[in-house]
Amino acid sequence: MTTSTSPQEILLEIKNVNKNFGGLQAIDDVTLDLPAGVITTLVGPNGAGKTTLFNLITGHLIPSSGTIHWLGKPLKGFQPWQVARLGIARTFQDLRLYSQMTVEENVMTVTERSSWLWQGGRQAAEQRVTEILTETQLLDKRHERAVDLAYAERKFLSLARIMASEAKLWLLDEPASGLDPRSFDRFVTLLRDYAKRGITICIIEHNLDIVIKLSDRVAFLDQGKLLAQGSSEDILKDPHLAAIYFGERA
Amino acid sequence: MLFTQLFINGLQTGALYALIAAGFSLIFGMTRIFHAAHGATFTIAGYIFYECYSVLHLSWPVAALAATFAASLFGVLLDRYVYAIIQRHEGSFFTVFVASFGMAIIVQNLIAMIFDRGAVTVSTPLSKSLEVIPGLYVAPIAAVVIACALIFFIALQWLLTKTNLGIALRALGENPNLIEVYGLTPRLLSQYVFLIGSILVVPAAILTAATSGLNPAMGNHVMLISIAATIVGGVGSLRGAAMAGLILGMAENLCLAVIDPQWSEAVTFVILFLFILFRPGGVYGRAVMS
Amino acid sequence: MIAYLQNIAVLFCINAILALTLNFIMGYAGIFSLAHAIFFGVGAYATAYIAMHASDSLLLCMAASAAISAILSMALALPALRVRGEYFVAASLGLQVIGVTIFSEWKSITGGLGGMIGIPRPKLWGYTFNDDTAFLMLALVVLGIVVGITALLVRGSFGRSLMAIRDSESAAQTYGKHVNAVKTLSVAVAAGLAGVAGSLYAFYISFINVESFVLETSILLMAMVIIGGTGTLFGPIVGAALLMSLPAALTYLPFLPPTELGSIQQIIYGLAMVLLMMFRPGGLVGGRSKEKSA
Repeated sequence: MTTSTSPQEILLEIKNVNKNFGGLQAIDDVTLDLPAGVITTLVGPNGAGKTTLFNLITGHLIPSSGTIHWLGKPLKGFQPWQVARLGIARTFQDLRLYSQMTVEENVMTVTERSSWLWQGGRQAAEQRVTEILTETQLLDKRHERAVDLAYAERKFLSLARIMASEAKLWLLDEPASGLDPRSFDRFVTLLRDYAKRGITICIIEHNLDIVIKLSDRVAFLDQGKLLAQGSSEDILKDPHLAAIYFGERA
Repeated sequence: MLFTQLFINGLQTGALYALIAAGFSLIFGMTRIFHAAHGATFTIAGYIFYECYSVLHLSWPVAALAATFAASLFGVLLDRYVYAIIQRHEGSFFTVFVASFGMAIIVQNLIAMIFDRGAVTVSTPLSKSLEVIPGLYVAPIAAVVIACALIFFIALQWLLTKTNLGIALRALGENPNLIEVYGLTPRLLSQYVFLIGSILVVPAAILTAATSGLNPAMGNHVMLISIAATIVGGVGSLRGAAMAGLILGMAENLCLAVIDPQWSEAVTFVILFLFILFRPGGVYGRAVMS
Repeated sequence: MIAYLQNIAVLFCINAILALTLNFIMGYAGIFSLAHAIFFGVGAYATAYIAMHASDSLLLCMAASAAISAILSMALALPALRVRGEYFVAASLGLQVIGVTIFSEWKSITGGLGGMIGIPRPKLWGYTFNDDTAFLMLALVVLGIVVGITALLVRGSFGRSLMAIRDSESAAQTYGKHVNAVKTLSVAVAAGLAGVAGSLYAFYISFINVESFVLETSILLMAMVIIGGTGTLFGPIVGAALLMSLPAALTYLPFLPPTELGSIQQIIYGLAMVLLMMFRPGGLVGGRSKEKSA
């Protein structure tokens, strides 16, 4: 698959975004750019606002102020399903797979955008599904129900869904947590592969090992503020940030 | 004069509806169980009272106690032996609702078989209407209804705000994990919720028996009111449900001034639809997003 | 005897269509509706009115019944689906109650409490279905078509959309499903086909009144779907068959007082519902207990 985006083209621009709930400032003047083909990791202590940021991007929450631009156009007032159709997809920390549906159906239904009773493109979709299931090594489990899968398989199914969405921006919420080393390596390889194809990936992650192995860039959030961003070395070596991360505040 | 008459009738009906709705809202708001058998609890309470008072000629306190016992037993056992099992392995809204519904059907038909399909009334010395002022007929029992409702609500308010149990109950709805702090378990608390919720219907059932009478299918109407009031009042708000019950009772009676009696039940649902359309959070409820 | 069996068979077809369509929204979309009898009724009254005042053409009446039911259902679905599932139950209950009142009071269209009498048999391409056996054939064909449509929808992309929404509405939204559109469409399809069943019913019985479309009917249909098995294609048909044979089976038990048979039937399905939900929520055909989500 070739892409038409040049290496460092900015796909998502978050500018001065704020979100408050009553008295609580969940996101405080965050400005962040996500370029094509780059894997950015969002780190920070619990409650820093990472998932809230994702929700603001996907339309589950509306910013109190500030703008979010996707491919140059503002994402204002869009419902989550509309945002999805614009090319942004996300996974959930609790996966939210379609539990009673089979692996194949889980992936297939993502490719079926239309709400109408019948839609075409069946053959192409089936081919794509087979490709994806092969890449995620779920092909032999294609007829198993999602609820019957093993833990690692479920994580890969979650990834398979997002692969099928043909989204240009992937927001992954702790996608690799709890994976054994071999599955983890497979996971990382797959992500890097898609990043090379021009997909922008933003990951929320707690495990610092994972952060180091996966990220091109790291953004550090705390109490809704973006404290720093840079390469993973720069961020992780900063003692001040480490103190915040491990709970020792000034 | 018609208006005043309808107003007083409305107050009486509204007071009863407020009690019924509060019971349902308490259960639903705190355990998230759509207790479709709430109407059945009501019917059981009413008929047990009728049986004890009008048939066996026991004194009314004894009859009331019997009704309370029967209603609470039903509610608690249903929770313990049916809902608990379902929740343990799957517990989706749908499954619990259907089981509850099935229970309601069983009770309705058992009562129809044991007692009689038709309506029965409990006549008490207080039931007879007196012409208070020319054209205005009020039975003393109306005052009893309203007084009863007030007493129960005050008691409920006290229970929920001033006792440990009450506070724990409110916590159950918000954050089940906090309950262990109070030395209770969610399961036990759920039993208490069903106990209280079921007891709340008893006065309403007894008073309904004494005023408009009982019939085996009345549980349906009770459910309609419970659901409508809970939504209009706002899910999770006890005060809202009670208030909504009152409003619905008033509306049902006041509208008789302008429309035929057959449509009065429909009025309840028109109000419900309007709320769903324009203010799904209800009067007091939290904002509802899918 | 033959006539008796034919009669049961036609009614079975009609009930099976109703159960299948209700399952479409309950079992596949997870939408709980207590108003299905109303869509059945709307279809019946529409056909009755058109057949008696305008034309007894089978296709015209059925199409009209389907269309009117479908459009009415959207009036219910559009507001009620915006909010959580519990609200839809309440709204559907409201529709059921109001619907019965309208059926009873709107004398000019529905004949009020007296109902409508003398509905003619339908005509298709010159042939009138006066013969009961022929009508049974018709009913079976319609049932077959409904099964076919349901199967096609359920096994195709629309069915997957429904199941995705049922299993995790938030994930479905996130992956581009326009949830409200899908749900509304599914309710419309179910209601439209229920209207077709109503049409068949009106043509067959030639006399309809509000008693056939009350809350008890909606409950019976729900019982058929649940006992047979939600979310399966043949579950509702099994449910319909079982619940229809129940009254006949009960008459064979001599120790049951005949006046109470109606109540006993209801108790049996109430009990079946409770026990199934406790031990086998998938119903008789579905079986496998549904587990908590992945």
